[in-house]
Amino acid sequence: MTLASVLFYFFATIAVAGGVLMVTRKNPVHAVLFLVLNFAGVAGVYLVLNAQFIAVVQIIVYAGAIMVLFLFVIMLLKLGGEESVFARQPFVKTLSIVIAALIGAQLTYVFFFAAPDKGTMVDMETGVYPGTVKAIAETLYTKYLLPFEAVGFTLVAATVGALVIGKKKLED
Amino acid sequence: MLTLEHFLTLSAIMFALGVIGVLTRRNAIIVFMSVELMLNSANLAFVAFATKLGDPIGQVFVFFVMAIAAAEAAVGLAIMIAVFRNKKTVNIDEINILKW
Amino acid sequence: MLETYLPILLTFAAAVGFAVVATFSSEWFGPQTPNPEKHSTYESGVKPLGTTKDRVSIKYYMVAMLFIIFDLEVVFVYPWATEFGTLFGEHGVAAFWSMMIFLIVFEFGYLYAYKKGGFKWA
Repeated sequence: MTLASVLFYFFATIAVAGGVLMVTRKNPVHAVLFLVLNFAGVAGVYLVLNAQFIAVVQIIVYAGAIMVLFLFVIMLLKLGGEESVFARQPFVKTLSIVIAALIGAQLTYVFFFAAPDKGTMVDMETGVYPGTVKAIAETLYTKYLLPFEAVGFTLVAATVGALVIGKKKLED
Repeated sequence: MLTLEHFLTLSAIMFALGVIGVLTRRNAIIVFMSVELMLNSANLAFVAFATKLGDPIGQVFVFFVMAIAAAEAAVGLAIMIAVFRNKKTVNIDEINILKW
Repeated sequence: MLETYLPILLTFAAAVGFAVVATFSSEWFGPQTPNPEKHSTYESGVKPLGTTKDRVSIKYYMVAMLFIIFDLEVVFVYPWATEFGTLFGEHGVAAFWSMMIFLIVFEFGYLYAYKKGGFKWA
């Protein structure tokens, strides 16, 4: 095993464990913290893929900002543990796991047969360039200039929308 | 050695976990977090292909996905607060006013 | 390639190691004479009020929400700022205005939040 493989399995295990625990925890605060663990694991996988800038942005934006917002909202709404849906409808558990397994299998199938050339290595040395800030800047501000400006408008719309919907006082 | 399929399989597993979360959880905020997990798995597939093809476009798209996810989180959680203000709950079994 | 991350890993290990040692060294090396007063929650010396299950104010949501939006703005500015020399060499003044349009659009959101009192802590 090379260093990259070891690191991949390490971070992939963290990501999957975080995801499983997030989905199964009753307490929403614990769920958020396990989702942060999952994001950290995914950031590690990005590093293995040589996507350095995306890895850092993943930590800053997802683990740092979005999850803090989720935590504040959970504490704001003072949510207790939820009653398990399986208590009333046990078949829902089986059904949902079957559906999710089908979707996962379908995705894996599509990935394995639609990949450009099957089984090729992710070449770490030649794969360095697309992950650099330089490569991202040269694509984002030239070829994708219009989507980039559109993102500005989207974020302004989100600011206005969230302020209008959320600004009213929350009475007890 | 690592192949593209390693990363895509991880992405598929994470997407399936997100689907399980959306289908089984009743707390609207956790359903929302499961959607974030699915967005993340899509990002992982984008980055894997970007590295494989040596093309930064996939990573630029991850940026756009992150921007949309942030906008979605800000507005979605504001909606959640507004729902809680009116209904005193975010249990999606009880937010059923559309099926009166 | 991945070996070049070794300094970051070492910094990370040093940070975690320092946090663990600083937190637990008094427990490992100091004498232990526990009593109920010592085990109560530390709230700057005053008697603890209520539990941690108290609802936090919606003000925190407003601050966190505005933080996300402007955090995203910074993330989009960062690659532009680091590579501005190259971009300016290739595209001239258009490289400058591409970001200025983005920032001007953002300023409308900022002004709206300011007008609406989103930055007021009251």
